[in-house]
Amino acid sequence: MATGTLEARAAAGANADWAALARNARRKRIAGQSGLLAFLLLVSVPILLPFFWMVVISFTARSGGVSTDVLWTSCAVIAPAVLVYIVVHSTTPSPRLRALVGVALIVTVAALLALLVGKQLHFANYRFLWRTNIIEEIRSKATAGGQFPSVWRAFFNSLALALTQTAIILAVASLAGYYISRFAFRGREAFLQGLLVLHAFPAMTLIIPIFLILYWSGLLDTIPGVILVLATIELPFYVFVMKGFFDGVPWDIEMSAMTDGATRRQAFRLVVLPQVRVGLIAIAVFAFIRAWEEYIFVRTLLIENKNWVMSLYLFWVSDDIMGVDYGIVAAVSVFYVLPSLLLYVFCQKYLTQMTIGGIRG
Amino acid sequence: MPDFARARIRRQRLDFALFLGPALVLLACFFIAPVIVDLGLAFTDMDRTLKVTTFTLENFTRMATRDSRLLASLGITAIFVFATLAIFNVTFALLLALITTAVPRGLGAFFRAVWLLPRMSPSVVYALLWLWVVDPNERGLLNQVLIHVFGMAPVDLRNNHPLMVIILANGFVGASLGMIIFTSAIRSIPEHLFHAARADGAGWLAIVRHIVLPAMRWPISYMTIHQALSLLVSFEYILLITGGGPFYDTTVFSLYAYRRAFENGQYAYGAALSLILIVIGVVAALALWRLMDMRKLLQPPRIEVH
Repeated sequence: MATGTLEARAAAGANADWAALARNARRKRIAGQSGLLAFLLLVSVPILLPFFWMVVISFTARSGGVSTDVLWTSCAVIAPAVLVYIVVHSTTPSPRLRALVGVALIVTVAALLALLVGKQLHFANYRFLWRTNIIEEIRSKATAGGQFPSVWRAFFNSLALALTQTAIILAVASLAGYYISRFAFRGREAFLQGLLVLHAFPAMTLIIPIFLILYWSGLLDTIPGVILVLATIELPFYVFVMKGFFDGVPWDIEMSAMTDGATRRQAFRLVVLPQVRVGLIAIAVFAFIRAWEEYIFVRTLLIENKNWVMSLYLFWVSDDIMGVDYGIVAAVSVFYVLPSLLLYVFCQKYLTQMTIGGIRG
Repeated sequence: MPDFARARIRRQRLDFALFLGPALVLLACFFIAPVIVDLGLAFTDMDRTLKVTTFTLENFTRMATRDSRLLASLGITAIFVFATLAIFNVTFALLLALITTAVPRGLGAFFRAVWLLPRMSPSVVYALLWLWVVDPNERGLLNQVLIHVFGMAPVDLRNNHPLMVIILANGFVGASLGMIIFTSAIRSIPEHLFHAARADGAGWLAIVRHIVLPAMRWPISYMTIHQALSLLVSFEYILLITGGGPFYDTTVFSLYAYRRAFENGQYAYGAALSLILIVIGVVAALALWRLMDMRKLLQPPRIEVH
């Protein structure tokens, strides 16, 4: 019985139409791939559409209402273009052709959009950038004024907070990461294990005692206080990431630098640090984005409006005038999200380099 | 002791202070100290005056006997953590990792970047997007789709199914971390195993079942514990989207502790509630610890010259 099937198979194999089999396999492969891509497209719509909706609101809403036809018209223009690009991308391996098609599609989409919805776009919702008391003007119909700082104050507070926190993390994490990667010292294992527990431990549970510690030390409602807290709670993670990068640097370079007469610290500064440039950029970008988006800790630890950062500014804007004016809320959101989004898009290749203890994060 | 030996010890101490000192000081002040403060605070009666008058066990008896809202919030937490974890942070993350590694590389990377978008955008903005999606009037994005595509009546998810909204909102963010970790785990499976399986006639499902999943056991158990822990303690999106409401319907345990402390000014009671989370956090952290590659991590340094 079994031999019979085998013989039959062998016979079939002998005079099989190989071209037909290959065609069949290719067809099956294309069907499978399109199925997977269709699934990915479908599940990505709920993520992309809300972001797009936010941008559309910010450019089209006038006080009193938002128009929805701009959203759907532009979706009808963009969706076919995306489909065409995906088909081209998965059928041609040539990067030049891909780029050519991509540029052609972008130009077509831009032209169509300008033609169809161009007239309805306006920048009036972004007037909060130069008329900095606009929120007060809209609000004052209902309540007393004097509560909203200029958006630029919040912007520069956010910038100062994110940059300082990033600088602290860079300095502290690279020093500590280098030390635990290269030096032998008593209690090294215990220290590493303790740090690992801190890394896995959720710092959010400590928000009440952190609030009190800042209150007792007079750092409550100050930006330096928040910077120290934010830099510390993520520090174990960054130390491990840096340790991973230092572990990857061959120790011969350091050794040869020291044979040539460099001290340990010179070797670290002049020879090893340039080798982990990618790691430094990765944690800098990541730390900046994390600080830029922080909400719970700044909400709890910053009170006065002169200390507001962008997340608090946006929160209160949306809290106060969401019912009155969608457009400005959306415009502030776009303005706030832009820096971290640009950083993310342009530095993505660095972010994917981070590993920790064999597990990427 | 000869001079050079003494100088060497001094240099070692200086190196220790220079390289490790800053990290140790920061961790002691803002990580270790809060744990100790919380431990003490849980046994006091601190209220919104921020003064301690007596030390008492009152917080714990209140928790055990008189707080009916606590029990409700524990139930909500269980549903929230389990549903988000089971649907998104593990299952859907695994699905995304499998599919984005099966399509052409560039497209896979693009879709992973899309799914990372919610994690990378500020939480206030992300929460606002959700508010615009579930807006109960006909301008809400979901309602626009329901009305114009499916011809249905507008719905008010935020008031009628608030738990579903917070599960979806957290899940869309949560799926991305698992996706990245699972992707790199799939990538690290030796290529020849896939070729061998295909030569033996295995289909996609068979490859997933017999090659990918067995290799993912550790990453999956790691992610399950890690994400369960982070869902248990994080309440950022819930606070922003529903504010824990309507009433207390979406107030998970961690948010309950936060609201008790910062809304009702019962700092000591909040600290006592957090203490439970801290204990769970330590236990889970120790469990995660066993799943990491300790040998590689603790590998002794190779240069010992100071």
